[in-house]
Amino acid sequence: MIDTYRALDWSYYGPELLSAIADTIYMVAWAFLLGGFIGLAIGLTLYTTRDGGLLSNKAAYMAMNFVVNLIRPIPFVILIAALQPVTIYVIGSGIGNDAVIFVMIWASTFAIARIVEQNLVSIDPGVIEAARAMGASRLRIILTVLLPEALGPLILGYTFVIIALTDMSALAGIIGGGGIGNFAIVEGYNRFNPEVTWLAVIVVIIFVQSLQLVGNWAARKVMRR
Amino acid sequence: MSTAPLIEFNNVSRTFGTGDKKVTAVDDVSLRVDRGEVYGVIGFSGAGKSTLIRLINGLERPTAGSVHVLGQEISAMREGQLTKVRSRIGMVFQQFNLFHSRNVAGNVAYPLKVAGWKKPEREARVEELLDFVGLADKATQYPEQLSGGQKQRVGIARALAAKPDILLADESTSALDPNTTGEVLRLLRRANEELGITIVAITHEMEVIRSIADRVAVMDQGRIVESGLVYDVFSSPRESKDASFVGAALKNRPTSEDVRRIRGHATGRLVVVSLQNAGAVSAVLGQAVSHGVSFEIVHGGMNTTKNASYGLLTLALEGEVSAVEAFVAALNSAGEVQEVHE
Repeated sequence: MIDTYRALDWSYYGPELLSAIADTIYMVAWAFLLGGFIGLAIGLTLYTTRDGGLLSNKAAYMAMNFVVNLIRPIPFVILIAALQPVTIYVIGSGIGNDAVIFVMIWASTFAIARIVEQNLVSIDPGVIEAARAMGASRLRIILTVLLPEALGPLILGYTFVIIALTDMSALAGIIGGGGIGNFAIVEGYNRFNPEVTWLAVIVVIIFVQSLQLVGNWAARKVMRR
Repeated sequence: MSTAPLIEFNNVSRTFGTGDKKVTAVDDVSLRVDRGEVYGVIGFSGAGKSTLIRLINGLERPTAGSVHVLGQEISAMREGQLTKVRSRIGMVFQQFNLFHSRNVAGNVAYPLKVAGWKKPEREARVEELLDFVGLADKATQYPEQLSGGQKQRVGIARALAAKPDILLADESTSALDPNTTGEVLRLLRRANEELGITIVAITHEMEVIRSIADRVAVMDQGRIVESGLVYDVFSSPRESKDASFVGAALKNRPTSEDVRRIRGHATGRLVVVSLQNAGAVSAVLGQAVSHGVSFEIVHGGMNTTKNASYGLLTLALEGEVSAVEAFVAALNSAGEVQEVHE
């Protein structure tokens, strides 16, 4: 096995692989940052507008809930195609890494919205009542009670999403994006180089495992349990 | 300082739901709590106590009537306007409701941050409060590392942090064992006596009322069925409903079941004598033989409240009818005597 990899033309595959890894990190990072932020806002909206919530508002909750349910079940590869006109309008191009990021932001936003909502629901309502009784404003409660109290599970939820994004980014090649998935297909599969495909597999495993380890470590540190 | 009551309820009702599912948690309640007193509200669970106490700081809104607290009409204020007045009302909860993401010092500091205290003052105040509740050595621990009693002491420190005028205690000892209950009640009493804070405590435990309350209201099905000084209410409940509640809680007035059991071994006339003046009652009992009457103590006991003792004793009296009659008259001059109806 090792001999197989020694035999690879590293002067070619080395730079190709590095640039594929860089593309994956670029796509995942941007989609995670923006989707994570917008998803957090939508998740907080879902949680606070639900019945009995801090900003209880049935119409707003139903509307937001409907949109999340509408987008979330769409398989990523279909979402890429379906969003094409919007992608071209916003990004200026329907192909390439940035176009992929745009679609990934949609997917991660709605996944995170649900994860945020679900984790906030599990917070003891008594803690929120205590903060209200102390005279904390609703915004302060959201920022200094809700989020810190749910931080551990939120970190695990975000870890789940960043790994899902790595998975999505592997489809980037469909609309001319790069990344490790594209590398595996173009350099490995299409050219009958299984060892190159397996190289990509190893890289993805290391990538995902590292993310999971960091996520678990951070969640444990926050929860101290 | 004005003499207006600190808390005033005028014909307050709170209903939940509509139509068939309509539940009246608080039903036409009027009450007033004066500065510096400890006001207890006692009742079985489901009596509407939790809703009542939450009407004081606006966590619940009345559906009818008005609530005035600290000179402001709480019931007319919007959620956003309530934040200021709430920082003058501390609250302690049955389940403590501490922030798990903050350590002990962080929990106590939170209301101070809300009230806009600067960091140095905040730190000094937190230290002072942890000293007051005896947890100075636990400042950097997290709630899950504390026992139930310690958690509630943190809860009390947090509730007292911003120097509130009023402390609301919502079943503050119901999740604690008897020893810890005593510890928390002593702390509440100290808060009242040393800091002059007005306390409203709701509970289903007579122990809480006995050891800290000055005045008590008995609540049943959303209504206050009796209220007054603790001693007066419990030594001679006026309504049969609270007679049963108070009797059940104090276990010193025989229930009909108790009477059946007593009848299994004791004959003679059964009377209940009030022990408001226990010394005088004892003196009369000492003269039983000279009256030609023998007695057996078949039920009863004494309780001590914040300010006084009271109790009821049930006696089975044997002897000539006229002798027993004379003896009952003598007893009645020492403490109110009631016949036991079978």
